[in-house]
Amino acid sequence: MKFLKLLSLSLFFFKIGFSQDKMIVSDLDNLTLNLGEIFKPVSKVILSDGSTGDCMNIIYYNKKGVFSSAKSITFDRSEGTLKANEPGTHEIVAVCIDSQGKRLSKTFNVNVNYPKIKEIKLSINDENIYIGNYVKLIYEITDELDNKRMVDYWNYENASKYFSKVGVTLSSSNKKVKIDESNNILAAEEGKTSIVVFFDGVSAKIDLEIKMNPVVKLDLTSDAFNARSGDVINFSATAYDRKNNELENIPFEFSFTGKSFDKSNSASGLILEDGRFVGDVPGKYIISAKIGNITTSKVVNIFPRNVKREISNVGRGIVNDRHTSDFWIFEGVDGGDYGVTGTWGSDGTAFFWDVSNPSNLKKIDSVQVDARTVNDVKVSQDGKICIISREGASNRKNGMIIIDISNPRDVKIISEYTKNLTGGVHNIFIDNNHVYALSNGERYYIINIDDPSNPYEVGMFELNKEGQSIHDVWIEDGIAYSSNWRDGVYLVDVGNGIAGGSPSNPVSFGNYSYDSGANHATFPFKSKSTGKFYTILGDEIFPNGVNPNGTNETAGFLHFVDFSDLNNPIEVARYELPGHGSHNYWIKDDILYVAMYTGGLRVVDISGDLLGDLYKQDREIGYLLTGSPNGYIPNDTMVWGAQLYKGHVFYSDFNTGLGAAKVSSNKPDNSKTNQYIN
Amino acid sequence: MKWINTLKLLFLFSIFNISNAQNYYLYVASESDDTVSLLKFSGKNIEEKERISVGSFPTEIEGPHGITVDPNGKYWYVTLAHGNPFGKLIKYSTETNKVVGETTLGLFPASMQISKVTGFLYCVNFNLHGNMKPSSVSVVDAETMTEITQITTGSMPHGSRISSDGLKQYSVAMMSGELFEIDALSLKISRKLDLEDHSKMNHDKMNMGKMKHSTVKPTWVIPHPTQKILYVAGNGSDEIIEVNLDSWKITKRIKTEKGPYNVEISPDGKYMVATMKSVAKTSVWDLKSGTLVKTFDNSTSVSHGVAISSDSKYAFISVEGIGGEPGIVDVIDLKNQVLVDKVEIGKQAGGIAFWKKEI
Repeated sequence: MKFLKLLSLSLFFFKIGFSQDKMIVSDLDNLTLNLGEIFKPVSKVILSDGSTGDCMNIIYYNKKGVFSSAKSITFDRSEGTLKANEPGTHEIVAVCIDSQGKRLSKTFNVNVNYPKIKEIKLSINDENIYIGNYVKLIYEITDELDNKRMVDYWNYENASKYFSKVGVTLSSSNKKVKIDESNNILAAEEGKTSIVVFFDGVSAKIDLEIKMNPVVKLDLTSDAFNARSGDVINFSATAYDRKNNELENIPFEFSFTGKSFDKSNSASGLILEDGRFVGDVPGKYIISAKIGNITTSKVVNIFPRNVKREISNVGRGIVNDRHTSDFWIFEGVDGGDYGVTGTWGSDGTAFFWDVSNPSNLKKIDSVQVDARTVNDVKVSQDGKICIISREGASNRKNGMIIIDISNPRDVKIISEYTKNLTGGVHNIFIDNNHVYALSNGERYYIINIDDPSNPYEVGMFELNKEGQSIHDVWIEDGIAYSSNWRDGVYLVDVGNGIAGGSPSNPVSFGNYSYDSGANHATFPFKSKSTGKFYTILGDEIFPNGVNPNGTNETAGFLHFVDFSDLNNPIEVARYELPGHGSHNYWIKDDILYVAMYTGGLRVVDISGDLLGDLYKQDREIGYLLTGSPNGYIPNDTMVWGAQLYKGHVFYSDFNTGLGAAKVSSNKPDNSKTNQYIN
Repeated sequence: MKWINTLKLLFLFSIFNISNAQNYYLYVASESDDTVSLLKFSGKNIEEKERISVGSFPTEIEGPHGITVDPNGKYWYVTLAHGNPFGKLIKYSTETNKVVGETTLGLFPASMQISKVTGFLYCVNFNLHGNMKPSSVSVVDAETMTEITQITTGSMPHGSRISSDGLKQYSVAMMSGELFEIDALSLKISRKLDLEDHSKMNHDKMNMGKMKHSTVKPTWVIPHPTQKILYVAGNGSDEIIEVNLDSWKITKRIKTEKGPYNVEISPDGKYMVATMKSVAKTSVWDLKSGTLVKTFDNSTSVSHGVAISSDSKYAFISVEGIGGEPGIVDVIDLKNQVLVDKVEIGKQAGGIAFWKKEI
């Protein structure tokens, strides 16, 4: 026993004596490079006794990867060099492979200097600066590589990030202005002053003239005194001098305060620089216009919008042996009303329905194709042709299937089309005699179906950029609206004429994208009540991925973009349902019918001007949770899409199939909800 | 007293049996179900121990295609073919079957393997969409889950396999008919071999520019574990092509049934097993004698992948099925040349990787 102990002890010390810690040392460690600089790193392995270790091969890489968004540091492996492409601190990994095939790695921080600022220009938009007003300074910064960046007063979130990196100080030549810790400049006294800005050793100066406020009186008018939540009130301010003359070009500042009628609620709303105001919550609001130390106010009452209506489920076409995907309701050539639904992750079946009686949805036929998912189904305007998309075909050719639905009770496959569509077709749209089919989520092809047995490609649209990605396309009035995830919506002339486009020559003429990069669907919307033109961009987000054991968490919302000026689209409003994400939707007569996945089918009043948070404004008319005890996943609402058709709201649900709902003219019975209210 | 002795004997016998019982574990991806199945084979019966949902969009098919287990068995990796638009590589713990890391790759990332030397994972970006153009092999540091580089190879690359010394990666380009060898250390193409004579082909009518096209349509490559040869599946030419790694020349063309797709060689170098995708069969060759030993009918259609146990006793074959049919994994006893068992898993069973043998 003693012998064994001695043996193990000696083995322990033998191991200590002969195993050495080793590490990579490199001139990459805390290396600082200038933008564009090329550097050849030298690295080696050092053992704990200071001797050099075995490092047969050394490989360097950027920890951000190789995708286009991560090309901050790139490598020329032939030359063994790296190049600094973006300012900031970057992690570079060195991997050493020794002659025994063992690897050792270490991460080094490499700093790339921001390019030095070459020039700063300061400007202001306001013609006049009056005592009591803030100076809205605009910075135009040009670096030594001639990159320009604009930092204006209202995007201080981005500005503060930049300022914290380059270091900025502001000073004034006298006390005519006061500069606070956040670099806001308040005009304090009449007279001339200069503002000097220092950015990383480079300075710029702007001379200002602070004027006495000529305004002695302000008038504030509005186009309404009382309004409903969500209604936009337009305020207009007029300024007068001592002689009661009206003054022009006065930079008014609008603001509001308010109190909710409901004591436990908070008044909230939005007011823009041009005086447009919307109240979200019923209450009394005080709207103020200010110029210098002269203010005036006006009180408006915001009353309940009062659009709630009863929504009831009229009928169901339960599909509970598989998931249901998209659907389309149409008038058949015989004048009857029909529907088609796709299936997801199943056996490539699409079902056809008689929906003439929405309370009795009847499955009347089906087709099965070589696919696992029929994600999208669309029907031609004349009700004769249905096209279904294919994903998961056993030969991986996917594409789409053209079906004769002249008799929806006996549908017949006419042809299969797979050219350039092998990556899977996720969404399609039929517009007159052309099909717009997505290909591998990268682009869409335009296919002529004059002769549905011989479809042929006539055009293609793509963004032509690395990582281009598309999820949906919708055609209206000869304009294709494609939803391109991080690249947002693209408006493409495919026959409208606005940009000289056609199906064989699609021409892009408008684009809008937003930060989340989750643009999944787009619907054009010409407001019946205002004449304004919007595109409504929907997100699709599953923040926690797939939950195989229960309800999936969904997120994202609808972005309302005022596209009245094609060259200057402005996001003005959102519909966001707390806790639930958006999917597909439909608009008719200023009413939005939206499938909010786990949040059910939602019906929303989008009449009038749209501004701010539409959900908060109580514009929701009603909702329906579509889960069913008989669903594929019981009682799990997961609404896929909605379509208003002949007075009924049809919907498809991932777990329950097809359904029909009715929005009643009756207000909902709140007697139980409000039973404690006098 | 006698019965106590009998019990003792029975106990000893059962201990002996338990100690000799061997279980085999493997992972299989089901491309049209967005699931990966963990399978256990006892030597007689195969069963699905767990079905793991993969991907992040419950309402989109993300297509798990390739799957591999790292050399030390601690992690498994699956490629998701469909993304926005790029696919992903997801890393899972074999202990918990939970995600521990991910990175974006190229278009339709497919088969892959990890070098025991570099620790890097080499994955082909199959990109079977639209017009054919050269795609790439992504190299990922599996430790940090960083895509280090993309090495451009041929059109529709497939069948990424690493030499047994961990220093070379091989893949074939299905639509350009080429075999590529990548140096695992320098991350550059070290050799390229045309698997057919492109000079005799007339591409004028194909509107493919300078792009090659292939009649061989190679879909898989596997280097021999001990010899300086490798084998390529000629999916279009119904053959398995033997290539000598010293001379870098084709040394043999072995005629097969229609549509050879994946090929693997048993770790002892004795057997070569290839799926015949078009006819739903699997063929087994004795490499020493160079003879076809047997061709098995698979349990459903569209035979796909092969994984062979570390002791070279069993071959596991993934078979896709069509439409709503379940995928199936067939187990072949290589010594006795019999189909031992099968198990149903998710739809379009494809990528398959042997994990471990356990007593």
